[in-house]
Amino acid sequence: MQDLLYFFQQLINGLTIGSTYALIAIGYTMVYGIIGMINFAHGEIYMIGAYTALIAITGLATLGIAWLPLILIVALLCAVIVSSSMGWAVERIAYRPVRGRHRLIPLISAIGMSIFLQNYVHLAQGSRNIGFPALMEGSFRFGSAEGFQLSLSYMQITIFITTLVCMTILSLFISRSRIGRACRAVSQDLGMANLLGIDTNRIISATFVIGAALAAVAGLLLGMYYGSVDPLFGFIAGLKAFTAAVLGGIGSIPGAMLGGLILGVAESMTSGYLSGEYKDVVSFSLLILILLFKPTGLLGKPEVEKI
Amino acid sequence: MNTSVKKLVTAVSASVALMAAGQAAAEIKIGIAGPMTGPVAQYGDMQFSGSRMAIERINAAGGVMGEELVAVEVDDVCDPKQAVTVANRLVNEGVQYVVGHLCSSSTQPASDIYEDEGILMITPASTSPEITQRGYELVFRTIGLDSMQGPVAGNYIAAQKPERVAVVHDKQQYGEGIATAVRDTLKDAGIEIAMFEGITAGDKDFSSLVTKIKQADVDYVYYGGYHPELGLILRQARQADVDAKFMGPEGVGNKDINTIAGDAAEGLLVTLPPAFDQKEENQELVAAFAEKGEDPSGPFVLPSYTAVQLIAEGIEMADSKDPFKVASALRSGTFETPIGTVQYDKAGDLKAFEFVVYEWHADGSKTPAN
Repeated sequence: MQDLLYFFQQLINGLTIGSTYALIAIGYTMVYGIIGMINFAHGEIYMIGAYTALIAITGLATLGIAWLPLILIVALLCAVIVSSSMGWAVERIAYRPVRGRHRLIPLISAIGMSIFLQNYVHLAQGSRNIGFPALMEGSFRFGSAEGFQLSLSYMQITIFITTLVCMTILSLFISRSRIGRACRAVSQDLGMANLLGIDTNRIISATFVIGAALAAVAGLLLGMYYGSVDPLFGFIAGLKAFTAAVLGGIGSIPGAMLGGLILGVAESMTSGYLSGEYKDVVSFSLLILILLFKPTGLLGKPEVEKI
Repeated sequence: MNTSVKKLVTAVSASVALMAAGQAAAEIKIGIAGPMTGPVAQYGDMQFSGSRMAIERINAAGGVMGEELVAVEVDDVCDPKQAVTVANRLVNEGVQYVVGHLCSSSTQPASDIYEDEGILMITPASTSPEITQRGYELVFRTIGLDSMQGPVAGNYIAAQKPERVAVVHDKQQYGEGIATAVRDTLKDAGIEIAMFEGITAGDKDFSSLVTKIKQADVDYVYYGGYHPELGLILRQARQADVDAKFMGPEGVGNKDINTIAGDAAEGLLVTLPPAFDQKEENQELVAAFAEKGEDPSGPFVLPSYTAVQLIAEGIEMADSKDPFKVASALRSGTFETPIGTVQYDKAGDLKAFEFVVYEWHADGSKTPAN
């Protein structure tokens, strides 16, 4: 009985972290799907989202506002606005001028942008870990066996619900709205979409903005869940999310979600049943295996040679 | 001789005169190497503040053999690669004495360079035993070893008669070293080690680890590593209702753990060097720190102060600036310092150094644990 509860507890842990990987992975996969480049600065956008949320929360606290929903909404709005504008600016400054050149050039430009943003936050906010105030404490308890209780914290529930809502909105947006349709058109054939009167520059900007907004949501959620932020934490999270995107099939939005969840669960099961030391070994071995046997990822479509 | 040649000759002789003047007012450069930035920069602050104070006071008292001490400060970010880079920079600057580094994993590679280049190094903070086990002539410390600190922690836990203990570390030289020492002490005391496991430094998600600790139903968790990770583990353990007591080495004992862990830091046990700033004979020095608006209570402030003082006294005792002669003076002498009476053994370790168990509180203060 205790073993079963333990398994479910690790599953909950894994799904929580996996759903935030998925939120970040969307940004990688959408950009890749549309212009075929990997936006390495995306992890930094996520980190900036977390910092902005923290600054907003601290600001509200000094104003003496303690009503939780208000704090969360304001922090979320600030993070989304700042990160989205960053996402837009990064594309405008670092990627658009080099778009269409050799594919290595935007890649290097992206790495440069990532280093720049990381160091900018280092300078502006200092290099130390900054603690997030504990806003949402407490949890639901289920079943108990030999002193072990399954717990599902309010924070974990918030992460699940928020991720679910974001994903639903995104899917509806992509499948129903005008911009969503244009996005799909651009991802199928950029040149042709351009000829048919779609403002491709605008669509590409929109993709960066959407990806950055989701990363900001993940930044706020993970900052609150873990409890601290530092300028380097976007790098590791970005790497994991990128892995999730490749795992699920880069370019595919459902793939990013699936990849994120699988990666999260694999990590928590490894540290739960083997040892935390093997967590990264297992997740990256998983990536290599999938790339060996299914190079397009789990849900990716094989690339059709465009003539 | 035409005028332009005359001018040249005058210029050359003038510059030779200047160089000679520069040598007459010679100074002794002391490299201070530690993290100014990065996740453990707060410990670097302690190191820099202690060393600067010592240099200031020694200079005010007339310097060393009539010469002024000058600090050359470098930032190693607690990164072994960066440590090698800054060590080479100190070599290029002609530094002959170094106070540093802080993190054991930085001190070790840097000390290879210092030993090769004939530079005397005193680390005020690195506790990994390996650093002084390689037969180096120029490596000293003003702090104890993990092999002393581990047993203090292990014996403290064993004395509370727990049923099971979990030992976690960050897989780095310092953290794993001390965690291993604690584990061995506990094993010898016949206490069951429910888990011995590494985490990745820089990670943020410890939910799986915390669940595992909860299931193992341990009474104590010992963590070998630094505060950013332990702060998060404490916080996430509190969320998951883990009721075990946590304990860590001096690498977790600073106020930043409170900003990360919040109330969850209450009751954390920490082994630290004794509170040198509480000693009566240091009160005058403590007042000097207070005057500058600095806090001498950090565990590495007075060991850093002592490191500079030992270099100065070593030079005077050897009556030479040759680091090898200074090193043998340090090995043979007995020195009265803010951290107590200092005597070195052959390896460059202090003959006696004591670690004390403190209980940490949610407001960042500490009290001796009984």
